[in-house]
Amino acid sequence: MRRVVVTGLGAVSPHGLTTSDFWNGLLDGKSSTGPLTQFNSESFPSRVAGGVPGYKVTDYVPKSYRKATKIMARDIELAVLAADGALRDAKIATRGILEASGGKKPDETWYVPDPARVGCNIGAGLICADLTELAAAIAEAKSPDGNLDMRRWGRSDDPSRTSGMENLTPLWLLKYLPNMLACHVSIIHDTQGPSNTITCGQASAGLALGEACRTIARGQADIALVGGCESIIHPVGLMRWALLNRLATKSNDSPAQACRPLDMQADGTVVAEGGGVLVIEELQSAKARGAEIYCEISGSGESSTAGEICQAQPTGEALSVAMEKALAKAAISPADIDVVIPSAYGVAAYDQADAAAINRVFKGHKPVVAAARGGLGDCGAGSQAIDLVAAALTVDSQAIFPTVNNQHPIAGLRVSHSRVDQADIRHVMVMSTSLAGQNSVVILRRFTGAD
Amino acid sequence: MQHRVVITGMGWVTPLGRTLEDVWRGLLAGESGVAPTTLFDARSFPTTFAAEVKNYSFPPELAAGGRHKSAARATLFALDAARQAWQQAGMNHGTQINPYDVGVYLGGGEGPLDFENFTRTALAAWDYDSRSLNMPEWGRRALANFQPLREIEQEPSMPIAHLSMEFNARGPAMNCLTACAASTQALGEAMEIIRQGDAKVMISGGAHSMIHPFGVTGFNRLTALSTFNDDPRRACRPFDATRGGFVIGEGAGILILESLEHALARNARVLAEIVGYGSSADAYRVTDQHPEGRGAVVAINAALRDAGLTPADIDYINAHGTGTKENDSTETLAIKKAFGDRARQVPISSIKSMMGHLIAAAGAVEAITCVLALRDQILPPTANYSAPDPECDLDYVPNAARRAAVNVAMSNSFGFGGQNDTIILRRFMVDQAESAN
Repeated sequence: MRRVVVTGLGAVSPHGLTTSDFWNGLLDGKSSTGPLTQFNSESFPSRVAGGVPGYKVTDYVPKSYRKATKIMARDIELAVLAADGALRDAKIATRGILEASGGKKPDETWYVPDPARVGCNIGAGLICADLTELAAAIAEAKSPDGNLDMRRWGRSDDPSRTSGMENLTPLWLLKYLPNMLACHVSIIHDTQGPSNTITCGQASAGLALGEACRTIARGQADIALVGGCESIIHPVGLMRWALLNRLATKSNDSPAQACRPLDMQADGTVVAEGGGVLVIEELQSAKARGAEIYCEISGSGESSTAGEICQAQPTGEALSVAMEKALAKAAISPADIDVVIPSAYGVAAYDQADAAAINRVFKGHKPVVAAARGGLGDCGAGSQAIDLVAAALTVDSQAIFPTVNNQHPIAGLRVSHSRVDQADIRHVMVMSTSLAGQNSVVILRRFTGAD
Repeated sequence: MQHRVVITGMGWVTPLGRTLEDVWRGLLAGESGVAPTTLFDARSFPTTFAAEVKNYSFPPELAAGGRHKSAARATLFALDAARQAWQQAGMNHGTQINPYDVGVYLGGGEGPLDFENFTRTALAAWDYDSRSLNMPEWGRRALANFQPLREIEQEPSMPIAHLSMEFNARGPAMNCLTACAASTQALGEAMEIIRQGDAKVMISGGAHSMIHPFGVTGFNRLTALSTFNDDPRRACRPFDATRGGFVIGEGAGILILESLEHALARNARVLAEIVGYGSSADAYRVTDQHPEGRGAVVAINAALRDAGLTPADIDYINAHGTGTKENDSTETLAIKKAFGDRARQVPISSIKSMMGHLIAAAGAVEAITCVLALRDQILPPTANYSAPDPECDLDYVPNAARRAAVNVAMSNSFGFGGQNDTIILRRFMVDQAESAN
């Protein structure tokens, strides 16, 4: 059996553009959720967001590819940033990185991979079209009675005016295809191996990681970029989650405290953006190139709640089965898990389901539960990727981060409340449930080099 | 140990009908599912026709209980196709199986925007002077107008959520959206899940409908669609010198994949075995395929290697064959590169000439077509073929179905963004069961 390890991490989060910004923010118990300023949100019940600080996407793509940044929705840009961070961290000199450093490796310790042996599996959400661009096109085809006139949408009957659709850039559709995250990343970095885009909301990144492990296990690739990115900070995203009653509405005046994971008084989550990309690698090839190894991926498990649409499962049964499947694959028992990172959005019903699943699986043994959403909010398909990066850093640095905004923990859980250094962490479990009921669990194991 | 994976049930909802045998008869007869667009007023669009699922009504057995009341059109197609597949597989006849051993993996597309509300809200909040949206106004109207479930049903994971619910499938549940390659990829990855023991049964395939104003707008802006409005039935002409774009279709195809041991243990009828899967990325351009078909060759070769087969073993290729200038010549080149001399001997056809392009669901209906070709030893034609193109000079089974000895079939799917996926299906003989591991 080919073993798979993590050798590079790239997180783009409300804490900052780099993995160290992210990790320091987590360890410091910082909250980076604030007033929603990306657009005027005054008519929405929740006006809080976890936005990623400013960046120039052209700084992350080689010169020859800069033109393509014009057709990148924000979700795609975030993936481009995260992949760049992860590959640089892994010291893998892909086409994009070579070009950015003048055609040569940054230094001799870097590795130039065979493009055919590198895969890319980046989860994505339903990318919302730019509202102003689309509304401008619709307005162009307005009928006298105030509706959209379909006869003017496709073709203009007035030579002095354009038709509605002509106001959309010819490549409009390509800005919003979910597979464009992986597509742009694969072009920039010349990854020609198996590529996929899993679109299962907050469980996407773990499902993508599990799948990429299968790809590597069967020998179709030696290296893969895995993870997920999404931006929910969009009028349509905010509207959807507001209609589903998943947003915190009582903390608009104290936005840093809005998202309260695993807290009895949680009143909803916060729209956010970001995500992460991890470089995963077959163990022997990682060793052969002298890669620094963060941890080993020891198992993953998947399940489906199979319940009503957008209803959490109060018993946590399906999630607990995914956890047990992951434990079985890792060939360990619940007592071998030291830290659990649940999705814990701050949405009471889902957090209760997380807690129920943890109690079902761990019974008497109480691992530390550390939730990352509190200071970051929920970035959809990016959320579990962020948790996976956090888990890799937890097991590598043997440090546990505190759970932000958790004053009234759900009974029965051992929620982390302060930073712990020099902990003795053997395994970390990451668990996530999507809105549509898909569950994904991943277990990361400390890598000592002794084996 | 790697489990062998077989197909025990199939179902589809397509522009040519919605029962397995009717659609198959239509394909063999060279019928067309393409006609003027009725789902919305497309008269001003560059393309005024589509391959719609006509007069669709959701089966009352599935509608009962109202659990799928809010589901988008493609989700209804997926449920309908899955029910046919589930019944054919005999899964409804008291099969005792742990629900956590049954998974779902689709290449499913997003649901359409709530067009009426979307356009009405945008127009009401549009400020013509500043050419911008009045966001507070948009927000107020949006929160009042939009329906929560109608919104969430647009998520691409909704078809799998409804299938999980309907069939109590609690195993791995995944959806991939790799554009036009999605459901071939879903079938390949679902096979891997069973091979590696992570599930015993997978409900797999795809569902998609982009025949709505913004979907067609997107493809029309890309100038990817045929605009042969005078004769829609002849609009999609794969591999023909006069081809001018693809025809948008809609529908679903669902297959029940199962480990061979599991199928044999419950005496299921095995329809075919899925034996190979290869996937790659062009890593070339967002808008164009690699001009030498580099990624497609990698996917084809990877699938052959995975199946332990060579080009000489392949009796039929179900092509991606969209009818665009670029795809058909690139695909031809890729087949030549991967197959060498064998490329001129192996029959190739594209059912998109009749069915249109079902986008994320295309690979699934093409996989079902391959299984039927293996069953009946007959190949569906490439319809609308009349003018040879020097760049497309292989055997495309033009215009008439053909009897052939078919033991192994290959299906290719390529997507925007440079996704390439190939699967290989093999006829299943009862005596092959003896080597089940």
